Amino acid sequence: MTLTPPAAQALQVITVAGGSPLVSGVIGRVEARLQGRRGTRVLQPYYDLAKLFRKESLAPESASWVFLATPFIAFVAYLSVPLLIPVLTNYPLPLGYMGDILGGGLILALGGFFTATAAAETSSPYAQIAASRVKTFGALAEPTLLLVFVAVATITSTDLPYALAGTIHHSTAQIVRPGHLLAAAALLCVILFETGRIPIEGHHGTNEFGFIDEGKPFEHSGPYYALLKWGSHIKQMVLYTIFLDVFLVPWGLAGTGSPGHVALAIPIVLGKCAGLGVVVAVIDDNWAKLRLYKITEFLAAAFLLAVLAIFTLIVGGG
Amino acid sequence: MSAVLVALLCIGFAAALICLVAPPAAMKAVTVVAGVGSLGLAASLVPTVGGRDVTASHYLRVDSLSLVFVLATALVYALVSVYCIGYVEGEHGGQDVDRYLRRFYVGINVFGASMIAAPLVNGLALLWIAIEVTTVVSALLVAIDVSDNSTEAAWKYLLIASVGLGIALLATIVMDYAGTQVFGTSFDLSYLPLIHAGHRLPATPVRLAFVLAVMGFGTKVGLAPMHTWLPDAHAEAPTPVSAMLSGALLTTSFYAVLRYFQIARAALGPQFPREVMLAFGIVSLLLAALYLLDQRDIKRLFAYSSIEHMGVLAIGMSFASPLALFGVLLHVIAHAAAKGNAFMGAGVMVRKYGGKRLADYHGGLSLLPWTGPLLLASVLALSASPPSAMFRSEFSIVAGGFADGGNAAAAVLVALVTVAFVGLTLASTRVLFGAPPRPAPGTDSPLYHPGEPSVWMVVPMVGGIAILLLLGVHVPADLAHVLSRGAAELGGGR
Amino acid sequence: MHPVPSVFEGSSDTIAVLVLLTEFAMLRAALLRAQLRLYAAQSLLLSALAIVVAASRHVPELYVLAGLSFVLKVLVVPWVVTRLLRDTSTEIAGSGALGVASEVLVALVAAAFGFFAIGALNIQSRVLPKTALSLAFAVVLVAFVLIIVRSDLISQAVGFFSLENGVSLASLVVASGLPLILEVAFLFDLLVAVVIFGVLARVTHGRSGTMSTSMLNALRG
Repeated sequence: MTLTPPAAQALQVITVAGGSPLVSGVIGRVEARLQGRRGTRVLQPYYDLAKLFRKESLAPESASWVFLATPFIAFVAYLSVPLLIPVLTNYPLPLGYMGDILGGGLILALGGFFTATAAAETSSPYAQIAASRVKTFGALAEPTLLLVFVAVATITSTDLPYALAGTIHHSTAQIVRPGHLLAAAALLCVILFETGRIPIEGHHGTNEFGFIDEGKPFEHSGPYYALLKWGSHIKQMVLYTIFLDVFLVPWGLAGTGSPGHVALAIPIVLGKCAGLGVVVAVIDDNWAKLRLYKITEFLAAAFLLAVLAIFTLIVGGG
Repeated sequence: MSAVLVALLCIGFAAALICLVAPPAAMKAVTVVAGVGSLGLAASLVPTVGGRDVTASHYLRVDSLSLVFVLATALVYALVSVYCIGYVEGEHGGQDVDRYLRRFYVGINVFGASMIAAPLVNGLALLWIAIEVTTVVSALLVAIDVSDNSTEAAWKYLLIASVGLGIALLATIVMDYAGTQVFGTSFDLSYLPLIHAGHRLPATPVRLAFVLAVMGFGTKVGLAPMHTWLPDAHAEAPTPVSAMLSGALLTTSFYAVLRYFQIARAALGPQFPREVMLAFGIVSLLLAALYLLDQRDIKRLFAYSSIEHMGVLAIGMSFASPLALFGVLLHVIAHAAAKGNAFMGAGVMVRKYGGKRLADYHGGLSLLPWTGPLLLASVLALSASPPSAMFRSEFSIVAGGFADGGNAAAAVLVALVTVAFVGLTLASTRVLFGAPPRPAPGTDSPLYHPGEPSVWMVVPMVGGIAILLLLGVHVPADLAHVLSRGAAELGGGR
Repeated sequence: MHPVPSVFEGSSDTIAVLVLLTEFAMLRAALLRAQLRLYAAQSLLLSALAIVVAASRHVPELYVLAGLSFVLKVLVVPWVVTRLLRDTSTEIAGSGALGVASEVLVALVAAAFGFFAIGALNIQSRVLPKTALSLAFAVVLVAFVLIIVRSDLISQAVGFFSLENGVSLASLVVASGLPLILEVAFLFDLLVAVVIFGVLARVTHGRSGTMSTSMLNALRG
C-alpha cells in the first residue's frame, strides 16, 4: 500500500502546522537551559495557543478590516508554503510544481506584508515602530534572499525546491561547493532576521523598543493573537525546512509513498528542525543583540555572502 | 671570473659585518674600500662580459644587461662611500654619534650590497628577494634621522613599496606557473630557460605576469602613478641615501622590469610589452615634467627629475631599434652618475644654507667655489646637455625612436624632456646665480663666507662629472660592446 | 552550466572563500585585536589549505611550508603586533574615510573586478581549481581597499600582511611546486618586513603619541 501523493502533501501541511510549536518549544527549553534556567516545558507553546484561543478578542478603534483579516491571511499564507517544499518526501508532489522557490518566498512575504500593515493600523507605538523597522531592514534582507535564489538557480538550472534538494541529495560534491555553502550561510542569516532571533532581537522578555518581529502582533489578542503566534511558529519551521531539506541535509525524507517511510519522515524532519533550533539557541546565547543601527551591517554581511556565492558559481563553477 | 661574481656579492655584506663592530674611522674606511672595490670588480668584468656571460654556480650569472646595472649601482656606491665621510661629520639627527654612525654605515653597506646582488642573481625569485631586501634596508635608512618628516616618508615608502613588491611577488608566481607549464615542477625561475622557451610559454599567464611586474617593480622604479612615495623618501632621507635611492635603487628595480620585458618579448612578441612600457613611460614623464616646473625643495626637485628619467627609460624600451636600447642602457649608467652628483651637490647646499627650501638659496656659485659649478654641471648633464653622457644616451634613444618609426612617441619624449629641462634649469639658475645672502649687521655665520663644508663631499662629485664627460665624449670600446650586447639581449632590432 | 566540481575542489575552494571572507571581516573589525585575530585565522586557513593540497596532490614539501607559515603567521606575527599594541596601548582602529557599509560595497566591487578579470583569463592549474586563483586576486584587491580606507598604522600593516596572504594563496594555486627554499625565503622576508613595520610604527608612535596616519600629512607637492 502506498500513500497517494495528495495525501502525502496534506500530511506535509499537517506536520508543519502541528509540529511547529514543538520546534519553538524545544528552542525555548534549550535556550533556558543554556542560560541556567529550568525553562518551560517543551509543549508550552501548545498550552499557550490553547489558552489564547479561549480568550476574548479586542481590537483598537482605529483598526480596519485589515487588522482583523491579517491573522487569517498570514496563517494561510504561511501554511500554504509546505505544499511547495520537500517536508516529508524527496519526490515531487502534485502541487510541488505549482510554485517555485521564488513563489514560496513571495507567499511568505505576503504574510509578512499583512502583519506589518496590521501593526501599522494600530495606534500602538510599539507595533508601529516594529512594522516600520521590519520593512526598513526588509529592504536589505529581500535582495539577499533573491540572490540566494539566483545562486540556487545557477547550481541547478531550475529554481524548484525539489530539484535543488534532489541535486544536493545526489552528490556530496554539491555540498562542499563554496557557492552552495555561501548561499546557505546567507540564507541562515536571512532566517535569523526573518524569525527575529539574536543577533537581530531578543526573542522574549520585557517589552522594549528593540522589538522588531515580536512587536508586530502587540495589539492583537485572543484567537487572533493565537493565529498570528501559530503563524510565526509555522513560518519559522517552514524557513528551517527550506534551509535543511532544500539546502543543507536533504536526507531522511521518504523516497517512496509507503506509509512507513512517510511516517518515519515526520519525526526526522521535526528532529532536524529541532537540531537547527538548538544551533540557533546557541547563537542566541553566545552573541549579544546588535544595536539597531548595526543590523544593516549584519544584513550587508549576508548580502556579501550571497554575492560571493554567485561570483564563485559564475567564475569557477564552484 | 666566477670568483669576481662571488667577491662582488660578498664585499658589501662583509663591509656591513665589519661595521657592526669596528670603530668609526674604520667604518668609513671599510665602506670606501667596499664601494670603490665593487666598482673595480664590476669594471673588471666589462671586457669579459662584452663577449660572453659569466656564471658562478647556478645562482649567480652576469650577462651584459645585468652588468650595466651592476656598474651603475657600484658607481653610486663608490661615490657615496666617499661622500659619507664628509656627510657624517655634521649629521646625526641629535642622536648618540656612535650609534648613529653604526646604524648608518651598516645600512649603507647592506643597501649597496643588496642592490648589487639583485642584478647578479640568476632567477626571478632570487631577484625578488634581493629587491625586497633593498626595500627593507632603505626604509630604515630613510627613517634614520628620526624626525617627523623622515618617519612619515619612511612609512609611506615602506607601505607603498611593500605593497608594490607584493604585486611583484604575484608576478613571480604567475611566471613560475607559466614556466612549469613548459619545464615541469623542477623549474626554478632562472632566466635563460624562460627566455629561450619563447612561444612555448602560455601567453596569457606571461602577459599577466608582465603587467603585474611592471606595476609591482614599477612602484619601486617610480613609474607614475605608483610614484607617490618617491619624492617624500628622496627628500627626507639623508643625502647619501637619497643619492643611492635615485641613482641605483630605481634602476635596480627597472632592471627587474627589464627581465620580465625580455621574457614577455620572447613569449608574446615585442608589440605588447613595448606598448605597456610606452604607456607608463609617457605618464611618468608628463607628470614629472609638470611637477618640475613648480618645486620649492631642492631634493624634491631632483626626485621628480628621477621620475622623469625613469619615464625616459621606459619610453626608450618601447622603441625597437638597437640604437635606442643602447641609449637606454647608457642612460642607466649616466643617470646614476648625474643624479648621484646632483643629490650630493644638493646635500652640500643643504649643509651650507641649513635648509632645503629653494627660496633661501642664492649665489651658490660664489659661496661654494667647487660645489656650485659642479652642481651646475650636474644639472646641465641631467638636462641632457652636450657633452655629457646623458646627451649621448638621450640622443640615441630619440634617434633610435625616429629611425624605428616611433615618431609620435619620440616627439612626445623630446617635448616633455624640454619642459623638464625648463623646470630644472629655472630652479637651479635661481639658486646658483645672483648675489649671495648678506649677513644682518652684527651677526656672522659660516654661511656668509665662501667655502666648502667638507672636501670629502666634493671629491666624489668631481669623479662623477669626470665619468659623465668621459662617457659623453667617448664610450670605451669594451663598455660599448657590453651595451650593444645588452641591447641585443633586450631584443633590439628584432 | 558548469560541471560539478569534485569534493577536493569544492572543499579547497571553500577554504579559499573563507580566506576572502576573513579579509572582508577585517574591513569590518573595529578593534585592532579583532583584526589581528582575523589575520591569524586567515593564516591558519592558508596553512590548512596547504595541508589539504599536500595530502591530496602528494606535494610533501607543502607540509613543511604549512608548518612554517603556521609558526610564523599564526603565532609570531600576531604576537609581535600584539606586543606593539600593548606597548603603545592602542585599541581601536582608525575609522576609515568611509562607513562600514560603503567600505564593504567598494571592496565588493574591487573583489568582483579581480574575480572576473582573473576568471576570464582562464588559467588552469594542476593542483587547485581556478576559482581559487580568482579568489586570491580578490583577496589582494580587498587588502588594497583595507590599506586605503584605514587610517592607522597597525591596520595598514595588517592589511599588507593579509595582502601577502592573498599572494600565498595564489602561489598555492598556481605554483605549489615552487622550490621550497624560495618559499622559505619569502616567509623569512615577511618576518623581516614585520619587524621593520613594527620599528617604524614604534618610532611614529614615539614621536607623535598616536598610531593614526592623520599626522602623516606634512609632505606634499
